[in-house]
Amino acid sequence: MKEFFLNLGNLKLNTPLMLSSGTWGWGENLSKFLSLAEIKYSIGALVTKGVSLEPKEGNPPPRIAETPCGLINSIGLENPGIKEFKAKYLPPIKLYEIPVIVNLFGEKIEDFVGLAEELKEEVSGIELNISCPNVEKGGILFSDNPKLVKDLVREVRKIWNSFLAVKLSPVGPVFEVAKSCERAESDALVVANTYPALTVLSFKPLKILKGGLSGPAIKPLTLRLVWELSQRVGLPIIGCGGIITGKDALEYLICGAKAVQIGTANLINPKSVAEIMEELEKLLKTYGLSY
Amino acid sequence: MFEAKVFINQREGGEYYLLGLRVSENLAKKFLPGQFLKIRVSSTLDPLFPRPFTIHAIEGSKLYLLYRVVGKGTQILSKILPEEELKILGPLGKPFPEIKEPYIICAGGAGIAGFGYLLQKTSHLPLKIFYGVRTKEELVRVNFYEKFHVSLTLVTEDGSYGTKGLVTEALEEELENKFKKYKPCLLACGPLPMLKSVLKVAKKYQLKTFLVLETFLACGTGFCRGCVIPLRKGGYTHLCIEGPTFLAEELDLERVFS
Ligand SMILES: Cc1cc2nc3c(=O)[nH]c(=O)nc-3n(C[C@H](O)[C@H](O)[C@H](O)COP(=O)(O)OP(=O)(O)OC[C@H]3O[C@@H](n4cnc5c(N)ncnc54)[C@H](O)[C@@H]3O)c2cc1C
Ligand SMILES: Cc1cc2nc3c(=O)[nH]c(=O)nc-3n(C[C@H](O)[C@H](O)[C@H](O)COP(=O)(O)O)c2cc1C
Ligand code: FES
Repeated sequence: MKEFFLNLGNLKLNTPLMLSSGTWGWGENLSKFLSLAEIKYSIGALVTKGVSLEPKEGNPPPRIAETPCGLINSIGLENPGIKEFKAKYLPPIKLYEIPVIVNLFGEKIEDFVGLAEELKEEVSGIELNISCPNVEKGGILFSDNPKLVKDLVREVRKIWNSFLAVKLSPVGPVFEVAKSCERAESDALVVANTYPALTVLSFKPLKILKGGLSGPAIKPLTLRLVWELSQRVGLPIIGCGGIITGKDALEYLICGAKAVQIGTANLINPKSVAEIMEELEKLLKTYGLSY
Repeated sequence: MFEAKVFINQREGGEYYLLGLRVSENLAKKFLPGQFLKIRVSSTLDPLFPRPFTIHAIEGSKLYLLYRVVGKGTQILSKILPEEELKILGPLGKPFPEIKEPYIICAGGAGIAGFGYLLQKTSHLPLKIFYGVRTKEELVRVNFYEKFHVSLTLVTEDGSYGTKGLVTEALEEELENKFKKYKPCLLACGPLPMLKSVLKVAKKYQLKTFLVLETFLACGTGFCRGCVIPLRKGGYTHLCIEGPTFLAEELDLERVFS
């Protein structure tokens, strides 16, 4: 295995692949499908499912639907809340001895600060999910307001010294938001979350599902964002969107990403990350590239 | 995921197919009745997700699945030829619960599939099986089910074979006539309207009932949290890890059927 070290702020990665938020449960079944060796060899960091201050039971069914080459999900951020997460879910995840990044979401800036407070000294990093509505600003999405994002990152940064990434929404004023993150001293950008989408489930009675689109269908869109952002923003970029194969991962790395996250692929095949890593290494050799 | 070689994929009648997969004996041994596997029906990106199927029967290293063609994925699956390789993942889900009481199986359409493996493995056979379909051609694998010497009532909606009507009507008639005193459990699998009728019958005779449910699955492994089933006590359970078989009284049935 090739040695890979990447320093993203305080975060050191041994491989360029991370498991993205919400796509590997709470880790309880991970070792059922991946051997410990596969986990260590292929995963650079584990990004947890989104955690909030209070528990959330999530949305009623239907929560997911397949669309051509993609998945629409509306899970509704089902999570046990930060207290139970720390007590019950985090300890077994830490046993993998891989950097753990906790994905956070809140309804207002103080929520994020409160969550970060809870995690001090506990984990390697945090990832702020800004694709959520701000209740203090009439429900506008954080990601729609660059100033709000700047304030958010500044406030969290005050109390959080280790790795801090902001997970961008792929829609809205993406470039301005990215600049705000840079000014507010975020360590990295995760590009990006799912795309707002809709599918018709049945005509009679009319049933639709609104949610976030992920998977291969979004790859060309997010790849373009990674390319453009890497030219315009000084922060390291972690690419995320539709990576299913080693070739997909390499495309992201070549288009400006320093590392990548694997999401929907884990749902298709829980061993995806190991297979992607293997293929990526082969491709790098074939093309004489290094990361 | 594991590679499995197809050795049979034949139409049994109607839109129903029997798929045979050869796997390692070790893997075959891991499956318990009621559990399922996912099959990647194509290496292309559409359909993107492997499709779930219950184990219908196992002989040594041979897994049998019984499936109905309903859409894109099952259509592609029905065209696969013997000797082709398919990627599979399993065993997934929880097995059928251990039922100590006498019990009756009620199956509609493809809902019959999983009970084959139950009959193969269990030492506690059901009292009776009610198996209903729309029309004669859809009654499949009857010879296989008959081998277990369990009373099998075949029901067709159009009366083209066996008892005419709905499978739940036949079930109700049986309970009315003979089983009032025995109070058997019910184990039911089939389309939602059928399960709804099963529950009506169960309520009338106050029978403990297990329902085998279906929903679209993305991961089947507990990774996505997409396959939620509403619970009576509030909140949700996840079909792919806690199911697909549930004790009816634990579910919020109104929401399950809405
Ligand atoms: C745990 C589990 C075990 C299962 N075991 C079996 C089995 O042993 N045998 C079997 O035949 N099926 C089984 N199913 C159902 C099977 O997985 C689906 O029929 C299949 O995934 C449909 O894929 P598709 O691409 O052909 O259809 P899609 O293209 O996904 O759907 C096409 C159309 O069919 C409808 N549809 C989807 N599923 C069903 C269904 N179950 N019945 C009727 N209409 C449907 C959809 O609403 C849509 O309108 C099981 C499902 C689960 C969750
Ligand atoms: C079922 C599901 C749940 C998700 N949950 C979260 C979440 O809790 N927080 C978050 O920031 N992103 C979440 N995401 C988004 C993914 O982490 C990822 O950004 C997105 O799916 C795009 O990558 P992909 O195409 O590789 O899946 C979720 C995605 C899916 C499919
Ligand atoms: S289908 Fe993903 S958790 Fe059940």
